[in-house]
Amino acid sequence: MEEKKINVAEESHDTEAPLDKNVRLMSPTRMVVRRFFRSRLSIVGLIMVIGLFIFSFAGPLVYTAWGEIELDESGKTEYATAVTTYTVDGVEYTVRQTTEKSLKDNFLAPPSSEHILGTDNEGYDIFVRLMYGGRISLTVSFLAVFLITALGVVLGGIAGYFGGVVDNVIMRVCDVLICLPGIPILLIISTALDAPEYGVPAEYRIYLLMAFLSLISWPGTARLVRGQILSLREQEYMVAAEAMGYSASRKIFKHLIPNVMPQLIVQMSLSLGSMILYEATLSYLNLGVKAPYAAWGTMINIISTNQDILQHHLNVWVPAGVCIVIAVLGFNFVGDGLRDALDPKSRR
Amino acid sequence: MLKYIIKRLVFAVLILLGVSMIIYFLVRLMPVDFIQDKINAINQGGATVSEETVNAMYEMYGLGDNSFMGILGGYFKWLGALFTFDLGTSFVYGIPVAQVIFEHMGISFAIALIATVFEFMIAIPLGITAATHQYGFRDYVVTILVMIGISLPSFFFGNMLKDFFALKLGWFPPSGLVDATVTNTGLSLLWDYVKHMFIPILTIIILSIGARMRMTRTNMLEVMNSDYIRTARAKGLRERAVINKHAFRNTLIPLVTSLAGLLPSLFSGAIITEQVFDLPGIGNIALDAMNRGDIPFIMGYNMFLAVLSVLGILLADLMYAVVDPRVKIE
Repeated sequence: MEEKKINVAEESHDTEAPLDKNVRLMSPTRMVVRRFFRSRLSIVGLIMVIGLFIFSFAGPLVYTAWGEIELDESGKTEYATAVTTYTVDGVEYTVRQTTEKSLKDNFLAPPSSEHILGTDNEGYDIFVRLMYGGRISLTVSFLAVFLITALGVVLGGIAGYFGGVVDNVIMRVCDVLICLPGIPILLIISTALDAPEYGVPAEYRIYLLMAFLSLISWPGTARLVRGQILSLREQEYMVAAEAMGYSASRKIFKHLIPNVMPQLIVQMSLSLGSMILYEATLSYLNLGVKAPYAAWGTMINIISTNQDILQHHLNVWVPAGVCIVIAVLGFNFVGDGLRDALDPKSRR
Repeated sequence: MLKYIIKRLVFAVLILLGVSMIIYFLVRLMPVDFIQDKINAINQGGATVSEETVNAMYEMYGLGDNSFMGILGGYFKWLGALFTFDLGTSFVYGIPVAQVIFEHMGISFAIALIATVFEFMIAIPLGITAATHQYGFRDYVVTILVMIGISLPSFFFGNMLKDFFALKLGWFPPSGLVDATVTNTGLSLLWDYVKHMFIPILTIIILSIGARMRMTRTNMLEVMNSDYIRTARAKGLRERAVINKHAFRNTLIPLVTSLAGLLPSLFSGAIITEQVFDLPGIGNIALDAMNRGDIPFIMGYNMFLAVLSVLGILLADLMYAVVDPRVKIE
């Protein structure tokens, strides 16, 4: 097959075909895609991410046996056995007294065909809650990353392009924001959100918290964009654009931003991972998504009050942790793969 | 040099002003009624928040006056108090916030210091081997380790280690700092501390080692591609001399600089790890303060962290100038 192609190429060369028929042309995008798929880790990462997306968003539509906040009220019988020993006339009697207790909810059920991963301490189906938790995690982190990127590109672009006083002001704001501690600041915000005067519904807390986190996390992206634009500004094609008399917005959005895109995409996929970690941590600290709604962090939070579950009911908390790790690892693998694929210097 | 230092100092002060403004604004976000509710809740919980403490807090933050000048005046008053290290009085503990922070800082510092020392000792050699064997088997292993370290959530990993080593195997106590059932002194007390702090420190090391390894690897790769390394090889130096004498010494620049940047993490406490293992470090105390509505403490803690990070950045800048003579002093 390969040989034939070469022959064809040579033949067409003889008949004076245009030059691009002789050379196998490959667009930069195709080259990047090809390099990306050559790395095994990137493929693994991509599969992990896509798998989680399908699991979280299509899962609840397919697997409808249980809902997110649907209790399994099939009941549960608990047996408690008390052993007492009596000694009457030198003979030892052992009395085993078993009490049967009927409870309304079927909580802490082991994995079975009915509950694939069992139920948690309230009686919710864990498998289904993993899907709903994934929806929250993925949605919230995507929104946060888009917000961070939008802010970073606009502010970093302005700073890099115009320079001077504007640049100075934006960069000093960056310096200030970088000094703010992440989680501790969110502790204050979260306390303030509790105030009845603001009346924030429990479902929206996590969105507000993550929005705030984005408002203080854009400096990284802004610095990246600014640095890139500063070096691009000196390129010949920018001088040409200047000479053609293009408007500032055309120069920024047509000539500069597309050249920053590679780094930006890498940054975005890596920060997706860290945003998922932030969301999970907030939920774990009981600041984000609160019970009865499901989030991966909230599902692990159960063990901080109940050591019995930590030790004996691994099916309650380990799956949520595994989901977090898969999500973060997936985005990091994809980000790393993209970084290598987009780097024109790496030839692998 | 002096000019550079002064310039950096001025920057640091400006940044600190900006940070303090944001934190002050966050306090003002809380409605006064809400703060009163929180105080009532603490009072019902057993502790007593004296009228004096509450008034002092209102006074300190200038709460109650919501006009523009009132907020501005309140901010400067609060700033003035900060300069005398007065962070207000904690609602829950009834003693100055600065004192609470100071008392619980030691444990967090000890944990962070030990973890950091081990982290550097393990990460640097691994990062260097990964770089010198780029794309080889070792590099692959290190890359995967790095990824795992970055991707594991601390609360999940900490709990897994706790479940395995403390609860299942029973090798270490699951939580706390000392065994409350026995009174230990001297060496046995030290041994008790070691046993209690082993898993928390292990957790921190495994989770933070990845980033450091990756950093060492990237810097090392950059240096290995530079001209003077080619020169060193061309003049026939042994590979070991090239790596240890020429390459590694130049990767030290970013490493030393990052050492200064570690300052905040040494004192700030690992909130999650301390929570998982129930250690009385400053991070856990802050989390507890948040749950109980101890507003002066959270504010003081945040300001403390902000000052630390500003100091860290300042130190890093200065170290950079000291370590790397090529830094232009404008």
